[in-house]
Amino acid sequence: MDNKTIETISYLARLQLGDDKKEKITKDLENIINFVDELQNIDTDDIAPLANPLEKIAPKREDSVTSKSRKEAFLLNSPESDQNYFIVPKVVE
Amino acid sequence: MSWETVIGLEVHAQLSTNTKLFSSASTQFGSEPNTQVDLVDLGLPGVLPVVNKDAFKKAIRFGLAIKADINQESTFDRKNYFYPDLPKGYQITQMTKPIVEGGLIDIDVDGDKKTINITRAHLEEDAGKSIHDAYPDKSVIDLNRAGTPLLEIVSEPEISSAKEAVAYMKALHQLVIFLDVCDGDMSQGSLRCDANVSIRKVGDSELGTRTEIKNINSFKFIEKAINFEIKRQIKVLESGEKVTQETRLYDSGKDETRPMRSKEFANDYRYFPDPDLLPVVISNDEMEEIRSTFPELPADKSKRYISEFQIDKSEAEIISSSRELSNFFEVAVESTNDPKLAANLLVGEIGSLLNKDNIKIDESKLSSNNFNILLQRISDGTISKKIAKTILAEIWETGRNADEIINDQGLVQIQDETLLEEVIIKVIESNSKQVEDYKNGKDKLFGFFVGQVMKETQGKANPQAVNDLLKKALNS
Amino acid sequence: MNIRFKTLSELKKLLETKEISSCELVSETFKNIASSKTNSFITLDEERSLIKARAFDEGKIKGDLAGIPIAQKDLFCTKNLRTTCGSRILENFIPPYDATVVENLNAAGSICVGKTNMDEFAMGSSNETSYYGTVKNPWDFERVPGGSSGGSAAAVSEGLICAATGTDTGGSIRQPAALCGITGIKPTYGRASRWGMIAFASSLDQAGTFARNAEDCALLLNHICSHDTKDSTSISDEQENYLENIDDDLKGKKIGIVKEFDISNLNKEVQDSFEESKKIFEALGVNFVEVSLPNIKLSVPTYYVVAPAECSSNLSRFDGVKYGYRAKNINNLEELYIKSRSEGFGDEVKRRILIGTYVLSAGFYDAYYKKAQQSRRMIKNDFMEAFKDVDIIMSPSSPSSAFKIGSKTEDPIEMYLEDLFTISANLAGVPAMSIPHGFAYGLPIGLQLMGNYLEESKILNFAHQYQKNSDWHIKSPNLEEIS
Repeated sequence: MDNKTIETISYLARLQLGDDKKEKITKDLENIINFVDELQNIDTDDIAPLANPLEKIAPKREDSVTSKSRKEAFLLNSPESDQNYFIVPKVVE
Repeated sequence: MSWETVIGLEVHAQLSTNTKLFSSASTQFGSEPNTQVDLVDLGLPGVLPVVNKDAFKKAIRFGLAIKADINQESTFDRKNYFYPDLPKGYQITQMTKPIVEGGLIDIDVDGDKKTINITRAHLEEDAGKSIHDAYPDKSVIDLNRAGTPLLEIVSEPEISSAKEAVAYMKALHQLVIFLDVCDGDMSQGSLRCDANVSIRKVGDSELGTRTEIKNINSFKFIEKAINFEIKRQIKVLESGEKVTQETRLYDSGKDETRPMRSKEFANDYRYFPDPDLLPVVISNDEMEEIRSTFPELPADKSKRYISEFQIDKSEAEIISSSRELSNFFEVAVESTNDPKLAANLLVGEIGSLLNKDNIKIDESKLSSNNFNILLQRISDGTISKKIAKTILAEIWETGRNADEIINDQGLVQIQDETLLEEVIIKVIESNSKQVEDYKNGKDKLFGFFVGQVMKETQGKANPQAVNDLLKKALNS
Repeated sequence: MNIRFKTLSELKKLLETKEISSCELVSETFKNIASSKTNSFITLDEERSLIKARAFDEGKIKGDLAGIPIAQKDLFCTKNLRTTCGSRILENFIPPYDATVVENLNAAGSICVGKTNMDEFAMGSSNETSYYGTVKNPWDFERVPGGSSGGSAAAVSEGLICAATGTDTGGSIRQPAALCGITGIKPTYGRASRWGMIAFASSLDQAGTFARNAEDCALLLNHICSHDTKDSTSISDEQENYLENIDDDLKGKKIGIVKEFDISNLNKEVQDSFEESKKIFEALGVNFVEVSLPNIKLSVPTYYVVAPAECSSNLSRFDGVKYGYRAKNINNLEELYIKSRSEGFGDEVKRRILIGTYVLSAGFYDAYYKKAQQSRRMIKNDFMEAFKDVDIIMSPSSPSSAFKIGSKTEDPIEMYLEDLFTISANLAGVPAMSIPHGFAYGLPIGLQLMGNYLEESKILNFAHQYQKNSDWHIKSPNLEEIS
């Protein structure tokens, strides 16, 4: 796991590793990846992936409106808002 | 050098369900910001999605209409990226097993027919809205739209001009409205498209590098954006440079496309099956139910109208293209013996009234029953077609019964031959010059005499009787 | 009255006979918590607890658990009561809703006195990753209580509370139950609703409970479990009354011993306890059979692909936009994300998010995530095969007893191996529990009982019979000696 990879995945996850921890965490990640690499050796031909232990199907909901506005409560819990919106720094598209 | 264009469209149709794809919040457009946001839509910790049955019904209905394969077992995946109007940091979509695969859409470009193959149509949730102009240095987020069900319809790269793209979009637009899967309101973003555009030398088999123009929301802009992009790419290639694969935005003010500045497009979305959702299975019974309520499609309807009622092709096509109009027509033909007249009025007089008010026929004051009375009165000669227009105008305003209007305003057609003969004599006497010209071979003047008789009778004269009697009088 | 170390059933009886009032019970509970040095709680809810207790005493609250103080792991959302998930990023988060498990326990009349400490976002096996400080093991303050539900386990073990909820993604109920010398159970995946449980790894997470014995666990499970239409992965099969068959005779029943779990290299006391426990069951007429779970060795690597992958996505919602921690002095959106998340999450959470991001990224999906899902099916199939021959499967809950605080924090993999015996039950989704069954190095150790799908009743039955014929579950730490 090289520096470039660490940088890419850190950016994708929007995380920054402090300089003091970068080396240690990189080493940890390397060890963990080596550890799980054991999976590469197993024969999984004809084995269907199991995404969820419940091999059941999803229930479907009726299409009727039951939820009410909780705007005030939601905005109150937010780090920055006005009376109508959540606010973030300016986004340039 | 000659170039050819290859276009694939990804159309996002907001499904016209009452609630969101994964929550019970309303999807209504135009509400106050952030008032249609459920715990699930805000992506609070610990909340979970549950699928909306009707979103699946609508998606399947669309699939059946384009003769696609329906995957009775479909699954949801997560597409991971950060954006402020994407509350969970991932969008739930159908990547590996979409509900609809394959299918085709017939388009018509100035009379030339072409079939565009559909790759897939999958369900996914819409994002919220970021608004960038509310504050000078801030963006604000409205999550009302977050979670609204979308059907993303992906075409094969088989579209070869901006015009074809527009025709394709128009065909989709008409179809989704007809099927009642989407309200088709492009100005509200209910139907919008991303266009993948590339060009290559004529004869090349490999595709050129493509750019993706995001979120185009009108027919006009589709044409302009694609044409701009084609020209731009040709210019780039002819100057010996390469087209960069990128996401671009169409700026309608400047009529140009420009690369998006945000890094979002450069993302690695890390799709994986959503562990909160198990596979969604549509049973055979559910499929049967959807099939049994599946509407007759416009093309089939039109053919049937022509053979069953002998109405004009153009009228048949207009009536069958609208669900409301065709329903109205089909009720009318159950009790009238003159379907041609019914079609004629619906497309002509009523059509222009509908256009003027920009409403659907079921939103007008004209009831099926009243329409049938009107048809009956024309057929039995009580009123002329011309008077029918007057009556329709009145019904349009008041919704009053046609018979009442006829009686109150004395609009009953004059059939009495003696009465009509009197009028005809009067007309002939006071227009001796024209009579002379007519007799000297100016046949066209016949219409003038009919007009005069009608004027004298305030339009109430039976046109057939007037014709017969006038001919007799003028030729004597 | 001294209520410390009383079981749920005992307290229930005291309330019924009016030997104690709920107000007294609640006040006494808060007094005990105030004097505790284990750091088991993150947030307390004294005022509302007393109001509820008064209402019970006035006869206004009825229910199976009415008037009984309990604690909720701080991973369950509690309406109007701060829920941190052990993280700085949710330091000031007040949920506008209750988790279904919380709602169920409230409906049964129990009184939630507070939220227990835990590893941050349930990622850890020692409770050392909590932003709110390490929890101390009541048996030895220099040692960890296990994790991630360390606060709940310690609070029950110390006798602060008779019952507390937990969640178990890879052993987060069973391992701390073992290390704290109490009983803990995780039902079948999907048996208890995940609505309102802050997700770590959605396909593995399951709610459960800690108590002083199996019988109390059964009573609690009757309320914790429910079919919930708000959770698409919730099981709709009819739910048993877990107390109904708890006294069934074990004669002729079969326990499987996993061939591949080599315990010969574990501590001698762990081995001896295991043999002793076998003898207790044998005396009850139980037969032991060797079963094979050939792919069990893959469970830890499989888990450390699946769990980080799911967590990397589940934790994306903590972005400083809608709720939770937002970093100060930010200039643009990217900074808002990166700083809020980097300051809001601790190292272990970051490690797991990064691993998850890596294994899901383009080019690696098939090699890691898909492969792990395939090996997950192999593990599940092994269990289904094994349960054809036996009623339950038995193993140690953890490799040893509680370790020293700080002794495993440097090496994540050594920490991950703490869950060697527990992880496979989560991958397969089967129910499992841990009961106290002896001591190693003077500290409690646990015995794990795993059952087939929806056979919670069976493992509870075995556990209850065991506890009727042993006294390990009655032992409690000598608090005066260590404080």
